Amino acid sequence: MTTTQSAAPAKTATPSTLAAAGPRIQNAVIKYGFIFVTVTLFTYFALSEPSFRDSATLLDTLRYVSVAAILGLGVTLTMAVGGMDMSVGAVAGLGVTVAAKTMVTYNQVGVVAIIAVIVAGALAGLLNALLIVVLKIPDMLATLGTMFVIQGTKLILVDGQSITPGMTQSDGTTAPGRFTEGFLRIDRGTILGIPVSVVIFGALTVVAWVFLARTRWGRVLYAIGANPEASRLAGIRVGAYRALAYVLSGVLASIGGLILAARIGQGDVSAGTSQLLEAVAVALVGTSVLGRGRPNVWGTALGAVLIGIITTGLTIKGLPYYTQDVVEGAVLILALIFSFTLSKRRTA
Amino acid sequence: MSRTRLPLAALSLASVSALFLAGCSQSTNASTDTAGDTAASASAATGTKPAPFGKGAVKVALVRQSGAGDYFEQWGNGAKAQAKALGIDLTVYDAQADNAKQATDLSSAINSGAQAIIVDHGFPSTIQPEIDKAVKKGIKVVVYDVETTTKGVISTKQDDASMAQAVLDVMGKELGKDAKVGYVNVAGYAALDKRDSVWKSTVDANGWKQAFKVGKVTDSTATDNVPLVSAALTQHSDVTGIFAPYDELAKGTVLAVQNKKLQDKVKVFGADVSNADIQNMTAADSPWVATAGTDPSAVGAAVVRTTALELAGQLNKTSVEFPAVAITQDFLKSKNIQNMDQLRAALPALNLSQVSTADWIANVAH
Repeated sequence: MTTTQSAAPAKTATPSTLAAAGPRIQNAVIKYGFIFVTVTLFTYFALSEPSFRDSATLLDTLRYVSVAAILGLGVTLTMAVGGMDMSVGAVAGLGVTVAAKTMVTYNQVGVVAIIAVIVAGALAGLLNALLIVVLKIPDMLATLGTMFVIQGTKLILVDGQSITPGMTQSDGTTAPGRFTEGFLRIDRGTILGIPVSVVIFGALTVVAWVFLARTRWGRVLYAIGANPEASRLAGIRVGAYRALAYVLSGVLASIGGLILAARIGQGDVSAGTSQLLEAVAVALVGTSVLGRGRPNVWGTALGAVLIGIITTGLTIKGLPYYTQDVVEGAVLILALIFSFTLSKRRTA
Repeated sequence: MSRTRLPLAALSLASVSALFLAGCSQSTNASTDTAGDTAASASAATGTKPAPFGKGAVKVALVRQSGAGDYFEQWGNGAKAQAKALGIDLTVYDAQADNAKQATDLSSAINSGAQAIIVDHGFPSTIQPEIDKAVKKGIKVVVYDVETTTKGVISTKQDDASMAQAVLDVMGKELGKDAKVGYVNVAGYAALDKRDSVWKSTVDANGWKQAFKVGKVTDSTATDNVPLVSAALTQHSDVTGIFAPYDELAKGTVLAVQNKKLQDKVKVFGADVSNADIQNMTAADSPWVATAGTDPSAVGAAVVRTTALELAGQLNKTSVEFPAVAITQDFLKSKNIQNMDQLRAALPALNLSQVSTADWIANVAH
């Protein structure tokens, strides 16, 4: 399709112009290649499918990716310190169960549920920090372990059952509560016509960007990711900052869980599991945006939007979900080529 | 350096384009095949097509909680074949058992310009608000196996109470009174909840003792239930029968019983029927002795016909039920039945060819 055309003229150029234009085009491809792919795909779907251009469809797309995007922001923070959080999907799922338990079983109001979910997320982050910083387990393995522990804990909390309003509980009584209207608004409500979950996604993106790119803390996180030993020698409390990254990731994942809970509107023991790979994928795709070659907040947000455009566009085109998986996987691999192969060569 | 980098960038862009094209062409082939099948098996329509049919394609969205598993795959194939025969442009949204995705899928379907939306399964609290929105926008909504309170929604379902009753009658005869039994089911799915209430009254009526209840529904339900049922059987190896009222649960239960080498002592009673289920029931040493079911592809097709009638303003009712038929392992073995085609021939009640039909509808029922 049109994506090949940008590079094609250079192939036919004479050696002398290639020598002059090559590095510039090369840099442009690395820097803007991914944005170009996104815009091209968007234009293609918008021109060929009238229903894709509809603003409601676009908002739906953003609403769909908001959870993976917010989880991806957490993954981005942990990637910045040179780690990886594999437990974000499980923490989001835990959030759905905690929200359901608080409101349906204990008949509490929505605010209590929100606090309970975020506390649960922070605790999960602390558990990760304990394993990684204090007990020195490699990040990916530690968070993989907590992923299983959290999924199991979640099922223990509810006897393996999805909590539904009015369900018969294990002691024979009927569940007294239900998801409150206010809580459901986290996903189902709108602010100025924009779904609340999309507003949360936007706000968290800005906050995370300011934190990571514009504060001393953010620069310290990147410094630790680049060279933990040098950071330690420079007097940075490396352990504390890495712990901070995991706690923030847990909190972000629990906010994703709040949106999932409001979207599903009842307990759902399988919620969140599908989010892990998408969250990791958008954070990885994000590393290629603007040729940074490192985790960054805007890249993650754009990566999520790109995944959303692909999913919505291909669904409207009538392609089954498994072909979408192939395309999403191809895009991820392309992004990784931009981030690792091409950027590394540039700096080498 | 720059000489090698530039081709590499071009190569990576080219390769992703190639993958896109590969994806597109594969899908085109698949839909052509479906059209071929349909043309071969459809009974021709004779009447004049009412509006909106006859003038271009009619846009319908099918929003599914999950299209995975043998039953749902056949259901989807039946629906697609019937849509093709009617000139319906059917867009399929498959949430892959991700309930949050089903909510946004349904929202996308509403905005896609579809004239009708078919909702196949789903948590009521998740999809109810979206169904309200669709009805408010004037879109015809047909639900399959979903509890809904919205006025104007057409409700279709297999008759789950009759299905559970049919297989539990067999189970009652096989096990007798006061038996010790196991149960594999989950709460929160309308169809399973209905089978559950028939189960509870049958347990009480027969004086059975329920030794365990386990089960979960995932994107690979059969495999994921094996460890649960195995664990339950370790504790309670003295049960004489297990009721697993959904075929993916039954498949997992069968594997667990076989893993525990209890197939001579424990009988499995399932629900639903498909090619894989028939293979499973008639395999040597299978503990799965009875099921009850509808033909999933006939049901998928009947739901699409119901939608077509509603779009044409000819349905004139708000609910359509598809009755289930009991099928025993002995019946399958004695008639040497190995697949759904042979079962349809032996049990004509399965094909639903008289449900939701009209002279202008080309019927894909066998």
